Amino acid sequence: MRYLESVMGIPMSIDIRDPGDHGDAARDAFAVLAAADARFSTYLTTSEVSAVNRGEVTADRYSDELREVIEIGTQAADQSGGAFRIRMADGRLDLDGVVKGWAAARAVETLERAGVHNFCLNAGGDVAVVGSPEPPAPWNVGVRSPGDPAQMLAVLAVADAAVATSGAYERGQHIVDGRTGETARGLTSATVVAGDLTTADVLATAVFARGLDGPDWARAHGARGVLALTDDGTLVIVGDLTFACPPKLPL
Amino acid sequence: MQTQTMTVIATPRRVSARSVTAVMQRRRSRAVRVTLASGLLLVLWMWWASVPATFTSTPASVATTVGELSGMVGAYLVCAQVLLIARVPWFERAVGLDRLVSWHRSLGASVVFLVITHVMFIVIGGQLLDQNLPWTEFMLVLTRYPDMLAALIGTLAFLAVGLSSARWIRSKLPYEFWYWLHLTTYVAIFLTFFHQLSGGAHFVADPLNRILWIVLYLGTAAAVLTWRFVLPSIDGWRRRMRVVAVVQESPGMTSVWFSGKHVDELGVRAGNFLNFRFLTWGHLLTAHPYSVSRVPVDGQLRITVGALGDHSTMLRDLKPGTLVFAEGPFGHFTADHATRDRILLIAGGAGIGPIRALAEELTARGRQPVVLYRAHSVEHLALLAELQAMPELTVVPVIGRRSELGYDPLETVSMRNFIPDLHTWEAFICGPEGMAIRAEETLRALGMPRRFIHREELSLS
Amino acid sequence: MRRNRWRGTILFTVILVVMGTTIGLKLYGLGETVAPQAGAAASPSALPSAGSTATAPATPSATSAAPSTTKVVAGVVEQTPYGPVQVEVTFDGTKLVGVRELQSPSDDRRSVSINRQASPILAKEVLASQSAKVDTVSGATYTSEGYKQSVQSAIDQL
Repeated sequence: MRYLESVMGIPMSIDIRDPGDHGDAARDAFAVLAAADARFSTYLTTSEVSAVNRGEVTADRYSDELREVIEIGTQAADQSGGAFRIRMADGRLDLDGVVKGWAAARAVETLERAGVHNFCLNAGGDVAVVGSPEPPAPWNVGVRSPGDPAQMLAVLAVADAAVATSGAYERGQHIVDGRTGETARGLTSATVVAGDLTTADVLATAVFARGLDGPDWARAHGARGVLALTDDGTLVIVGDLTFACPPKLPL
Repeated sequence: MQTQTMTVIATPRRVSARSVTAVMQRRRSRAVRVTLASGLLLVLWMWWASVPATFTSTPASVATTVGELSGMVGAYLVCAQVLLIARVPWFERAVGLDRLVSWHRSLGASVVFLVITHVMFIVIGGQLLDQNLPWTEFMLVLTRYPDMLAALIGTLAFLAVGLSSARWIRSKLPYEFWYWLHLTTYVAIFLTFFHQLSGGAHFVADPLNRILWIVLYLGTAAAVLTWRFVLPSIDGWRRRMRVVAVVQESPGMTSVWFSGKHVDELGVRAGNFLNFRFLTWGHLLTAHPYSVSRVPVDGQLRITVGALGDHSTMLRDLKPGTLVFAEGPFGHFTADHATRDRILLIAGGAGIGPIRALAEELTARGRQPVVLYRAHSVEHLALLAELQAMPELTVVPVIGRRSELGYDPLETVSMRNFIPDLHTWEAFICGPEGMAIRAEETLRALGMPRRFIHREELSLS
Repeated sequence: MRRNRWRGTILFTVILVVMGTTIGLKLYGLGETVAPQAGAAASPSALPSAGSTATAPATPSATSAAPSTTKVVAGVVEQTPYGPVQVEVTFDGTKLVGVRELQSPSDDRRSVSINRQASPILAKEVLASQSAKVDTVSGATYTSEGYKQSVQSAIDQL
């Protein structure tokens, strides 16, 4: 059964392969995502982050969730040498690089606690898979080709892991390399496979921000594997990646 | 063991050996084929020169003479078959043991046919002459000619060996049975030799033919004794090794590490295989060909084998300290043959062993190969960490059976999507026969010239 | 030569043809002037009878009459499933001095016949689209426009 809902303005889907009706579990998972949106979205004036950015809330009054996300983001910023950052130049919080993955990871936990063992969650391009669509096969997670939305760069064979991709091709140059203050350069697309979506999402953003040395850096910081396409068309494969359909090697 | 492996990869020792270009190789291989063909022509000439002028006078004499030619050609081809796998250095260097075995097999059908034809035509010839029934004539031939009982036993042995080696029947027989039956060929050759000289119309009164024939047989016997038995025995003892460790790389793939004083002298290159004889119960008398999965270093050798039969599962239970004799190295599936810039290594199942060794040597030479590793599932992947640790190597594991994936990654369209300019690459393929053949057909279809496609033929049997 | 299942058969056909040509040529006495004699009774003692070691090799009474010229004869064309095989034999007088392949099955034909056999079987096993089926697509965060164009939306609507 596939469940679709639009959260954060983005279509999200949950594909559950366990027999039986798990509509409730799916609804709870979407609720988690919606709650995260309500709390962290910078587009909602009523969100906690917007309030913080207006100066209305002091650090000692942050909610536990906000503290947790800021903590994750700060650690990522440290480990990436500042390439990944959660504060913009003027000091305002920008948690977009963390929230989606963090929220999706919590949605995954919700599903698992509800007893769903074989599912695939796609939160606007961030993917988490548990179990198997048809045992013993792993889930086939396609990686979108940066140049063409109808084409795949490669199809990964993934089991019990999370896949997150970072790139400029959908929303433009919105990722900034915190070390230079300029838009990220070097990579056109970076896909990270990790144990959970929080890690995968953060690492994918950080890899993209860091550019050419991102993939190796990510491997040393918790990524199981990284698939990246550089600006000059080279394909980079680092770590433990298994494919259902190999990537097209550049000429 | 893992850490040790990592350290070793950083400083592989290169074995210096003569580097042979592909052109020289083809020329040498052709020289061998020309020699064998010349021998055949010589046999035809021997027959031609000693055929009586009146042989066309009766159908009986024609039949008999045809039968004799058939026998002569058959006997020559049997000697050729034996020589091909006698481990003669000239043949091995020019052609390579794996292909020599292949040629040996190809001759098999002809030999069986010729032996049957020989018997039939001799009997028919005699029958026409004596106006007997075929069975009566058969018995008559057996009793009238000298040394025929021995020849009969030898011929039956030949036919048994030939039939048991036919692909379909072979697959149903246990390896040892087939191997020992095959060995009776030597006895069969010996037994059938005498009736040729003592009863063959082309030999009894023609001294030149007799001499040539004796030279042929003696030469073959000498070659076999020297290079198949005496020399290997001496070398084998000197180069004996012991099992150091047995490592389970993945369910179904086992690595065995060996160590010996003279291992480094063997001149083993990445991609070579050796014939191993293990001194354990039940495996004493059979030789197993296995490829190395690492460039040998510091007197240590490693093989990585898939569980493909009772012998491969025996490896799992090997005890450290077991004595092992290894013959070789054999095979031309080596990095020396890589001439193009872009190299694709295709591995399937147990083929990952030699491919991993080749990857190591190629990257040590400054190349940047790509490894396409086909496996049924993640659990079936082996040696992946070692491959991923090699700098300048792109590893692409594609997992899942074709039926699960819904497509065949090794088929033409998929491979063209993977590497659009594949026709400018060079490829080394090692894996199960079906997969390897499909991969090769795809590469040919995509325009890769045959001389740049290297396939390892692992089985010696 | 790459290993292939039919090489043994082809080799044996070639040997058969070469032998057949040799015998055939001897039989029809090219370069010789011996005519087949009628009846076996003509000279029984001259026949290569079984068991007799006293068979004298053919005295060259017939062969000496032949002039020592070089003759080249093309053998019969054998049609095998893999193409035609034909051999050419050269004689100096009555001596066989050379054998040459005129036609042999080409590699291309073999692979064509293999492909024609293999294709129907493969087509059954493999889906029409030559790529892996995709369960979901990971990409940079979709805009709603981007989502509509993406493969993920196609998957979600299935």
